[in-house]
Amino acid sequence: MTSITSVKNLRLKFPGESEMLFKDMSLSINRGEKVLLLGTSGCGKSTLLQVLSGLVPRTIDIPMKCDEIQIPDQWGFVFQDPDTQFCMPYVDEELAFVLENLEVPREEMSSKICSLLKEVGLELENIHTPIQHLSGGMKQRLAIASVLALKPDVIFLDEPTAFIDEKGTEQIWETVKRIWKDKTLIIVEHKIEKILDFAVRLIVFTPDGEILADGNTSMVFTHYKEKIKEYGIWYPGAWDDYKREPIMNNKKELSNTMKLQNFKGYRNREVKIVADHLVVHSGEWVTIMGENGAGKSSLLLAMMQLIKTSGDYLINDVPIQKTKDISGLLYLVFQNPEYQFLTNSVYDEITYGLQNEQEVESDVKEILTSLELTSKKGQHPYQLSVGQKRRLSVATAFLQKPNILLLDEPTFGQDSLNTFRILEWIEQERQKGTIILMVTHDHHITERFATRLWEVQNGKIVTDHQLNKGGKVQREILHEFII
Amino acid sequence: MNSLFSGKYTWLHSINPSLKLLTLLSLFVLAINIHYLSFMVGFSCVILTLFIFGTGYSYKQLLLLSLPFLFVFLSTSSSMILFGKGETILFKWAYVQISEESLIRGIHLGFRALSFAMLGLIFALTTKPVMLFYSLMQQLKLPPKFAYSFMAAIRLIPIMIEEYQIIMNAQRVRGIEQKNHFLKRMQRLAIPLLSQSIRRAYRIAVSMEAKRFQSNRKRTYYYEVGFSRNDLLFLCYFLVLLGLAYLLSTHYPFLPNTDVRYLSDLRD
Repeated sequence: MTSITSVKNLRLKFPGESEMLFKDMSLSINRGEKVLLLGTSGCGKSTLLQVLSGLVPRTIDIPMKCDEIQIPDQWGFVFQDPDTQFCMPYVDEELAFVLENLEVPREEMSSKICSLLKEVGLELENIHTPIQHLSGGMKQRLAIASVLALKPDVIFLDEPTAFIDEKGTEQIWETVKRIWKDKTLIIVEHKIEKILDFAVRLIVFTPDGEILADGNTSMVFTHYKEKIKEYGIWYPGAWDDYKREPIMNNKKELSNTMKLQNFKGYRNREVKIVADHLVVHSGEWVTIMGENGAGKSSLLLAMMQLIKTSGDYLINDVPIQKTKDISGLLYLVFQNPEYQFLTNSVYDEITYGLQNEQEVESDVKEILTSLELTSKKGQHPYQLSVGQKRRLSVATAFLQKPNILLLDEPTFGQDSLNTFRILEWIEQERQKGTIILMVTHDHHITERFATRLWEVQNGKIVTDHQLNKGGKVQREILHEFII
Repeated sequence: MNSLFSGKYTWLHSINPSLKLLTLLSLFVLAINIHYLSFMVGFSCVILTLFIFGTGYSYKQLLLLSLPFLFVFLSTSSSMILFGKGETILFKWAYVQISEESLIRGIHLGFRALSFAMLGLIFALTTKPVMLFYSLMQQLKLPPKFAYSFMAAIRLIPIMIEEYQIIMNAQRVRGIEQKNHFLKRMQRLAIPLLSQSIRRAYRIAVSMEAKRFQSNRKRTYYYEVGFSRNDLLFLCYFLVLLGLAYLLSTHYPFLPNTDVRYLSDLRD
């Protein structure tokens, strides 16, 4: 077999960083191989894709050096964020942009666009549809269609399903497997369950950007499991191996209730979420599941009184009508931690809004230690890694000591170590009596941590299940989410 | 929001955007050089007619859209009327002094501002940004690099607005409202908003290059923007009606026919 893309002794360093990302790293990929790259966030997987495609250093200016590099003649790149892959407002215009770049004559464009869309299974009534109206999964399939137009031999996929719900993920991989059966695929992905049968070769990176293992997928997982686990990389069975340390010493300090009766949340005068009758008590951990756009986030915003609401809404028997009524009672952790940072250092971020700074001094020290951020307390929150940002934003929520804690996918994009740690923290809060309401796509969390499940469909809470952990009933309920 | 900006497709939409842009720009220049009130009023009427009957929007939409500009009309003209220089005093009280000259000049300025606004609205209401840039690339040889950057930027505007609202909410949750300093607040909003936008713009640029976009290469166009009979009609509309307005206003001035510029210094 001949190699189709390779690099020899790659050295690469981000400007301003003290450590080199890659130091004499060599890699060669053969024609037709399906390769999956695994590693912790920040280990350089995505950068490696950009190097092999020639985007670095041609488009992205990062200083790099290598003895030899082979860049494929025909390649395509699918990126992770569905909102930053397109430069045109309509589906047909976006595909036309690619065809224009390839100097396809105008007369052939319309038919080409139609056949490309058909191939990725994006059957639209009208090809002149605004891209904004598509779901995340559809947007990614449009991105795949525009890559398809380039007729690539090698396709780089950089976490194409990171922002997509389970159903969309399924469709994306189904499409990729169908249309690029005999092409070379180089994939970076965290949610690996769906592609393990497909990716034959697996390359695992250490956090320092060195290759830990390279070989047949099942071989790598059997021989290097301990290391992979230690780095916090997701692997099949990571959840099964996870043994929760029992946290039992927490006395129930609070006793809270939340009641919703005929509760509705509105956006632009449209009803976005309806909850008929729900009562939640201390000690409950509710996960809220449903497709993208079903109304899960609207529910959280409605509870925070950040959108217009109607109906009865009581916390500890006090009716909530205004934003002011909830101050101190509820706290919402947003999906993107950066949105909620207000100050210029980690330390200020933790102490922000606390009245008596002397008193909390020791508390803060403890928190910094448990966050593993003591050395970074003077840094700007934006300079932290993805995992550190997430931990900081969850910790600031705990410090407010809310009676009810709302979380919007707090473990999204996190490695396994971080995920387990954050979940354990939340579990501690639950035992203290804080009501936990969490939006998630991850059925593992519902299965292992939640006591109750709400399913949201088309702006309505359609089912309300009490879960007893690990029970048989639960598996059946969750079945539909697992597919 | 959407209902305000959706109208029927009219002949004005089919005008070549580059031609439309150049024509309206030259009318801007013309409007600055009109110094006689009668012709200014006639000029405004010609544009107003096109604005009301040509753009394909309902009267209600047009009225709503032009409300801010009516305010501009009133404020520019009234300040000139009340405080302008002049010799033939009609009314005087404290600092307020209305002279015949300032009255005419004020009304003249008001009409000028109004016709500017309407020219701008006619263009904005009947031109799709994508078509404008395709036309600029094809007729005026604008480098594709700039055209596609602008189109990508326009796509980002709604995403940014949405993000602005999310960040506002996210910060409100942290209790930002109690300590409400406008500047501080803007600073707090600006940092996340800017950092996200820069990241996003950068990613779009990379993905455009990954789709083989090269600014110096020849390219084909999905939308061929050419000229039609409507373009001729568009030009004739202005040539004929503005010509008529000019002739009428010079031969039969229905309003005081003096130069609105303050020329008394020259006369002395």
